[in-house]
Amino acid sequence: MTMSAQQALPPSGSLLAGYRPIAGVRDELLDEHGRLRAHWADVLEALEGLGDHERHQRSDRLNHRVRELGIANDIYADPSNTEQPWHLDLIPLIISPAEWRWLEAAMIQRARLMDEILKDVYGEQNLMRRNLLPPSLVFSDPAFLRPCVGIKPTGSPLQFYAADIARGADGMWRIIDSHAETMAGIGFALANRVVLTQVAGDLSKTANIMRLSSFFSDMQASLFARSERPDPRIALLTSGPTNSDYFSHAYIARYLGCLLVEGGDLSVVNERLYLKTLEGLKAIDQVVRCTEAASSDPLELNPSDFGGPVGLVQAAQYNPDLIVNALGSAIVENRGLSGYLPRLCQELLGEPLTLGDAPRYWLGDAEAREQVLRNPDKWIFRAAHEGTGRPGRATAGRILSALDSGTTESLRTEVELFGQSMVAEAPVGFATTPSLGENGLHPVPYAVRIFVSATEDGYRVMPGGIAMTVETQSVALSAPSALTRDVWISSDTRSRPHTSLWRPAIETATVDRSQRALQSRVADNLFWLGRYAERTDWIMRALRSALERLDQDVGASPDGPRAARRCLSSLIARDSDVDLPGPEVSDIDALNWMIGQLLCNDTHVCGLIQTVEALHRTLGHIRDRLSLEAWRTLRRLRAADLRGVARIDALEWLEDGLTSIAAFNGLVHENMTRNFGWAFLDMGRRLERAYNLSEAIDALIVKSEEHSSAELVLLLELGDSFMTYRSRYRLEPMLHLVLDLLCLDEANPRSIAFQLAAISNHLEHLPKGRLGNTLSEERRLVLGLRTSVQLAQAELLADKSGDSQLRDVLTEQMDKLPRLSDAIMRSYFNPSDERPSRVFTRLEPTQ
Amino acid sequence: MKFDVSHKTVYNYSAMVSHSSHCVHLTPRPIARQTVERHSLMIEPAPTTRIDRIDYFGNPVSILSIDGAHSEFVVHARSTIVAEPPEPVDPEATCAWEDVQQRVTTGNGDLDLDVIQYLSPSRLTQPIPAILTYARPSFPERRPAIAAAWDLAQRIFQDFKFDATATDLSTPLSEVLRNRRGVCQDFSHLMLSCLRAMHLPARYVSGYILTKPPEGGERLQGADASHAWVSIWAPECGWVDMDPTNKIMPGEEHITIAYGRDYDDVCPISGVLLGGREHGVRVAVDVVPTS
Repeated sequence: MTMSAQQALPPSGSLLAGYRPIAGVRDELLDEHGRLRAHWADVLEALEGLGDHERHQRSDRLNHRVRELGIANDIYADPSNTEQPWHLDLIPLIISPAEWRWLEAAMIQRARLMDEILKDVYGEQNLMRRNLLPPSLVFSDPAFLRPCVGIKPTGSPLQFYAADIARGADGMWRIIDSHAETMAGIGFALANRVVLTQVAGDLSKTANIMRLSSFFSDMQASLFARSERPDPRIALLTSGPTNSDYFSHAYIARYLGCLLVEGGDLSVVNERLYLKTLEGLKAIDQVVRCTEAASSDPLELNPSDFGGPVGLVQAAQYNPDLIVNALGSAIVENRGLSGYLPRLCQELLGEPLTLGDAPRYWLGDAEAREQVLRNPDKWIFRAAHEGTGRPGRATAGRILSALDSGTTESLRTEVELFGQSMVAEAPVGFATTPSLGENGLHPVPYAVRIFVSATEDGYRVMPGGIAMTVETQSVALSAPSALTRDVWISSDTRSRPHTSLWRPAIETATVDRSQRALQSRVADNLFWLGRYAERTDWIMRALRSALERLDQDVGASPDGPRAARRCLSSLIARDSDVDLPGPEVSDIDALNWMIGQLLCNDTHVCGLIQTVEALHRTLGHIRDRLSLEAWRTLRRLRAADLRGVARIDALEWLEDGLTSIAAFNGLVHENMTRNFGWAFLDMGRRLERAYNLSEAIDALIVKSEEHSSAELVLLLELGDSFMTYRSRYRLEPMLHLVLDLLCLDEANPRSIAFQLAAISNHLEHLPKGRLGNTLSEERRLVLGLRTSVQLAQAELLADKSGDSQLRDVLTEQMDKLPRLSDAIMRSYFNPSDERPSRVFTRLEPTQ
Repeated sequence: MKFDVSHKTVYNYSAMVSHSSHCVHLTPRPIARQTVERHSLMIEPAPTTRIDRIDYFGNPVSILSIDGAHSEFVVHARSTIVAEPPEPVDPEATCAWEDVQQRVTTGNGDLDLDVIQYLSPSRLTQPIPAILTYARPSFPERRPAIAAAWDLAQRIFQDFKFDATATDLSTPLSEVLRNRRGVCQDFSHLMLSCLRAMHLPARYVSGYILTKPPEGGERLQGADASHAWVSIWAPECGWVDMDPTNKIMPGEEHITIAYGRDYDDVCPISGVLLGGREHGVRVAVDVVPTS
């Protein structure tokens, strides 16, 4: 058989010219005689038809989309860095209809089995008492949460289940890992499908593959049904952007129309779970838990982890169906279970186990320990419980023969002490599937993550998955290169009428409500997103004007560099640690130095690089609140490119950057619903703009002994009001006219007056605007600021002879705008919620 | 003997606490040789919610939450307890430690999960190779289980010095073992870790101990203390208490509050606060024999 595989001629065509499966190893594309398997034929033909150039172009486009969508990056990563591991192969893994029917049934059986085991472990514990499930396996696993024993959901405790499955070299499927804690990265699978459909939708149509949308709408419907409320508030609990699965959390929350919440957004009062919103506490009906259960309640679970709300266990005791998966569900991930599953399946379901685990021993069992230690270098040693990280991040384990000599003894001690939380595994190899490389297709070893969800009609399997290229010496979904491929299930029936992937019918019913209850934390982030976006815009505008003035021959006035120097000085002086160049330094030299500081110095806290980074960080916290376009638009600002940038490129960078911010503002303006979230984003931007403009006028006019039209022109540029001025006056800039336009004119969207009017308007419509008959602090502040601007007269402001009214107005703005920002934060974002802390009583010494 | 126990804990916070939640293990559990005649738990400020239930290990636990600003938190537990001395145990009369190991780690029948659950290491009793090395001399082949454990308790008493300043709640066992100093909790955790490293079931006991006034002196108010010791299991006699800190087999002067795997499971008061910054704590325990 092996010989024939090598000798058979590949089917004609360039794609398969170099395709050589490994002898004796099952391959998905070609059978043991080297013949193409039937369910690949259509796709392969279509791929062949594309031609080499088109295939590679599509492959590049595909991975460009992966990066743009943010599948690969976590938010702290630099978007320009292509090293971030997550690549999507243009070639999917295709599974035939018959094989899928078998796998689907096997996965459903496994999910039912795990569900029954969970019910018993957190209920009667008969399986342990009868030693069908070794008690020490459960007791030694930190995922077994004692305070949760006795919590009995009426539905399945296991709403979501996922398994990493692999076909051995021998062609047999086995489960190599189980995931029962969370949805295990299902968002990555969905996102992979979405981008692949964008780039290769014609191929998937050719192949008649099963769609994912009905699976997700069933899953969504079952979440709604669980909460037993007509209009439930469903929250997806994540530990936040530092979690390696955060992309998946945000993506799936948006898709299902759930609120994306972090532990700090929630509060347990009287055993009930609430969301902290701008309008106070709102009851949560259902939690989709994407956090580790052991870290979900510092009071009763892991005492050193503050990831979840205090009292979550109580809330689960009060309403056992509140949280899915149920707290403690991860116990069935324990790899030590493998050997006990066949009997458990027979016992609990009354049927033989269809799909078994990879060969594996739990080292808590004395006999298994002896057997493994007799021949230790045959085995791979791994932790019995590893937890679920980003797909592909499973540890490969230790192979004893690969270790130094002398470790056998220490291994013996380790097994002796920690056997209860260790397993030994025997590798069985991996089947191969085609991957697109430089020279056509080549076979790579792979494993697949398959997802299951409870629905109202029992468990359903997502007709797809994530296939990854794996390291062959392990028994894990261990894929350091993170080369992924979509999984296509070819269908032998015509597909059902197309339901759009993006709008499952039920979603529309939830979107509106989820925005009404705006979390305080989200409002906080939107406010700061507005501030950072505007600050970035302002710094870029100032730098662009400065760069244009470096060359004295160009520009409106010979005093240009002096004006720009004054402007940048005030920006740099925001960081009190930086010394400005003295008066003896020429304007050009000073300007050169300051541009360098603000543009390329990543240690300057008020510089462009750090400001853009802060913008990206804030953006990461609320990516589920913004449209993809808005997110992508801001991600295009690549601050890393600024380190050591040449002046000519800098100007281009700034132009692009300003366009991005303008596009972002436009998208937000056009597309964002005018809800409270929008109000906070806009207030942040307005507040920042009013402050920046006040500071600039102060630096260029008030603080200057003399000023010429150069200062006025620069102000008009910064205030983006040059065109307005020219069309209105057709005159050289004059101080009182410029001040009127930039400070007092409520019709000019760039003026201070306009910003204050907008803030005032937002505050009026927010909850808590009034406390009885007295105005809230923030409204009093904005009223004062607005009034002093309204009372000012342009001619008097421009009069420098007497007491400078201009100085008073600007000083008041610069003094009170930060206080206004603080007052808004105090009123709406609960800053009093410091990080919780923990107290213990130590036993008093005695003897 | 009959005792009145008063256990008062006062927390003072340097800044206002806006919300706090506490898990309280101060209600003595009823056990065979100990009857709780009366018990009350006084809490100030009055908790917004209080849930009393039995925890996984069978101990009474109260879960409190206090909304609203407070700068002080007082828990006063008062109990009247009647205690009998335990049945005397002949340490040499139990089966060998290997048999106990065998009995709890294998079997198909009706396994006693309440024993087996105390075999597995817990966060504060994680074994290290040095623990196994320290434990082994007490376990020569075929030595009766209770005799072996008692030998271990005596060795800990001899090898370790009581020193209230040497450790705190975060001191790892490896350091206790290296410095040979600590308090009752450390010695109990060490002994538990040794026993579990030998695959023997053992549990942590939190309770009180009656202290004797100095010869001819007055009983000092509030000078008694909460205490911790260890309990080990053998098929012939069930759970047998041992106090490695005092090298005694506890009698009626040891009063039990709760059982757990380690201190974490049965900490008298553990809480989560919002605000508060620094905190100070005063604890006064009185164990008064009344008959």
